[in-house]
Amino acid sequence: MSAEAAAAPAAAKTGGWEPKIVAFCCNWCSYGGADSAGMGRFQQPASTRIIRVMCSGRIDPLHVFNAFLEGADAVLVTGCHIGDCHYVNGNDKTKIKYKYLENVARELGIEKERLQLNWISASEGEKFANFIRDVTAQIKKLGPSPLKPEGVA
Amino acid sequence: MQKSEMYVGWSTKEDVRKRGGSGGLVTSMLAAALEKKLVDAVVVLKKINEFEAVPIITSDVNEVLNSAGSLHSVPSNFAKLIANRNLKVALPAKGCDVRGIIEQGKRNAINLDNTFIVGLNCGGSMHPVVTREMLEVMYKLKPEDVHGEEIEKGKLIFETKDGKEHAITIDELEEKGYGRRESCRYCTIKVPNNSDIACGNWGVTGDLVGKATFVEINSEKGAKLLQNAIDAGYVQVQKPDEKGIAMRAKIKGVMEDLGKKWKGKVFVPIDNGRLEYFRKELEHCIDCGACKAVCPTCSCGDVSKCTEYHFRGDAYKMSMYHLVRFLHLADACIGCGQCSDVCPVDIPLTRLYRRFANPVQEQLKYEPGMDMRKPPYFEVKLNE
Repeated sequence: MSAEAAAAPAAAKTGGWEPKIVAFCCNWCSYGGADSAGMGRFQQPASTRIIRVMCSGRIDPLHVFNAFLEGADAVLVTGCHIGDCHYVNGNDKTKIKYKYLENVARELGIEKERLQLNWISASEGEKFANFIRDVTAQIKKLGPSPLKPEGVA
Repeated sequence: MQKSEMYVGWSTKEDVRKRGGSGGLVTSMLAAALEKKLVDAVVVLKKINEFEAVPIITSDVNEVLNSAGSLHSVPSNFAKLIANRNLKVALPAKGCDVRGIIEQGKRNAINLDNTFIVGLNCGGSMHPVVTREMLEVMYKLKPEDVHGEEIEKGKLIFETKDGKEHAITIDELEEKGYGRRESCRYCTIKVPNNSDIACGNWGVTGDLVGKATFVEINSEKGAKLLQNAIDAGYVQVQKPDEKGIAMRAKIKGVMEDLGKKWKGKVFVPIDNGRLEYFRKELEHCIDCGACKAVCPTCSCGDVSKCTEYHFRGDAYKMSMYHLVRFLHLADACIGCGQCSDVCPVDIPLTRLYRRFANPVQEQLKYEPGMDMRKPPYFEVKLNE
């Protein structure tokens, strides 16, 4: 483990360390949810980097692995509620992919807080803000991801 | 002849019957299929010596007849060999070969209607390099002197050129780290009922022991294959006795239980430091890609996700190649052990892949290669 990585949990305790969270949001629901969170002025930590995809079904497990390998401390997969998909059944396919992803991540030793699935509709701004706040608090407790490359904060 | 019927049979050709593993039935059946134009080609192992053989696709009947005899220390897998060739082919196959062929069939690389799979009962195969070492260390024999081998009643018997037999129990060998390949130890597919016709010496009784093969027909194609061989005069069959059928079921049960026991022994859950474990196992990887090239369920070809998104220069903590392979094999791994066999730096890859595959396949109740079900990854909805 590098000096930075070793120092990071200590910094986390003092509150100086901000986790890096990658959130995949679908264009029609959860991205709108993130938007309405801003419009509704719900406070949330500035720890997320949102990546907009047209549908959560587009999120390849590869994208998630890449996020982790590039230094994300947590990856969130979000989409429309089941049955509300703009593309009829895109999020059903997300569910299948996530099942695999979850199992592989668990077996690999990635904590379950670091990879989460949530369905957020465009009107649920508060839910989105709360979700980000909860995840940030959980990750702050856990410290940096074990897959973070050396030299990445 | 029809599905789920059982027979005991042997080759009518004296020479093949003598050289063949148990009566030379499989060899004769393949030769008959080729001669009567049931198929265009047959896949057989061309023997070099006791520890080496090359799989070949041949249309020569004599070549097929010459291949008679079993080799336990040549762990080949024929699935990749016949993939993307559009052949009308018959081939002998162990449980894992059959599973590989069916998985390739699902991925449109093999036309299963044109493929006659002669399943072989398999208690396990051995790695040639390990076998040579075992002969020197455990049997105190020179590998060059060995003339033939046989597995009987839990003992591995080697016959030397001077006609002597040397036997040690498989349990004793495996305790010392020799014997069957690891993936064979925890394999639970001992009688390949997913093939067209399942052949083996389990269930042969009386004075036919060692001179005949017990067959179970699993599909119409299998019935056609056997009927063709009988009509061509290559093979003789008779009905098995009750005792033989019971014996076969018993051996199958014992072997499967042994496999399950090994499974528990090998896959001890890791509570802490899983990531460290995987990183440690993979740290010597030289990115040769051999594990993907031999994988009988992979049909991606040269351009694939696992290789295209992987660059050494990224210096990630874990290679993208392995992460993608872990994911892809979660529902596809058949546990054949080819990847571990070819790895030039001896990474126990099958063990790693199975760690991901076991929970996923259990949760989804999906056994790759055992039926024609679509891989759950490509389903539209998750069946829970």
